[in-house]
Amino acid sequence: MTKIFTFSSLVLALLSPLHAWSATSIKATVNGMVCAFCAQGIEKRLSQLDAAQTVFVDLKRKTVAVQIKEGQALDEKTIAHEITEAGYDVVKLERVNQSVQDIKAQLKK
Amino acid sequence: MRGRLQHVLSWNRWYPALLLLSVMGTAQAAPMGFKDSWMVMAENSASWQDISANYALTPRWAVGAGSTFMRSDDKAISRTLTEATATHLAKRWNMPEAQANVWLLGGVGSVSGNDFSGSRTMVTPGFQLDYETTRIYSAMTARFNRADGLNHDMLSLRAGFSFYEADYDEPQPWFIVEARRMNGLSEATEVTPMLRIIHKRYFLELGVNQKNEVRTNLMLNF
Repeated sequence: MTKIFTFSSLVLALLSPLHAWSATSIKATVNGMVCAFCAQGIEKRLSQLDAAQTVFVDLKRKTVAVQIKEGQALDEKTIAHEITEAGYDVVKLERVNQSVQDIKAQLKK
Repeated sequence: MRGRLQHVLSWNRWYPALLLLSVMGTAQAAPMGFKDSWMVMAENSASWQDISANYALTPRWAVGAGSTFMRSDDKAISRTLTEATATHLAKRWNMPEAQANVWLLGGVGSVSGNDFSGSRTMVTPGFQLDYETTRIYSAMTARFNRADGLNHDMLSLRAGFSFYEADYDEPQPWFIVEARRMNGLSEATEVTPMLRIIHKRYFLELGVNQKNEVRTNLMLNF
């Protein structure tokens, strides 16, 4: 019984940090993103945010995703503001517990 | 034969179709970048060379400067224009699969020529209408280049398609055809099929017009 308890505690202890490290991203659906030459403004502006770890732009699926740095905060309003300043319209915003890599892989399926 | 070719290429013959095409949906790469960015543009051909740059103060306004060299078809007349410019995004429609824009363009500067002495003040108001999807592109640009005794109004119509839909970080090749005419310098409509490559901040066009003259356009946004 003690062994089971010790083992369970060890597993939980190992999993807890993993849970804490799970990535959070903000995913936006953006209208008007048809050309990389024009849309690169979105990537540049979002990449300059202190809390942005990775930025992903997908023209085909009209998606922009920003992975938030661990321990930092970034709200949807800021993302919407930066995309609007770059000249585009945000039609949907969602916070997801996924990394940009995961979102990229999911969209490419 | 030459007369027949001129007839085929005559402006009056193509204008309605090209205008219709432009109204249906045309686009040129945006003449300014996103807020707080620089846009550098250059064109080189036998009868036209220009270089300009602007800075986007807001998402809708950019100011800059440029220099243009224009030459007549018979090489007898040339103009050199140096101007301060302003670019305004008057209206943008961001659609799920497309974008359309109305741009207002303007400039004021000094023009000199080889057929008059000194320089004159030239104003260059204009506009651009464009429509673009990830596969189709079209644009109509008009510039009214005027100075005392000079009228070099220019109209350009562009249409084309991309060979395939590219990912954001992949180079995307396009086939574009431009018909362009400039009053007072060329009586012929210049038609130039071009290969366009877009890769993020880089924009390059290479083409050869009906007089077998090479043309290069470059744009860089940073």
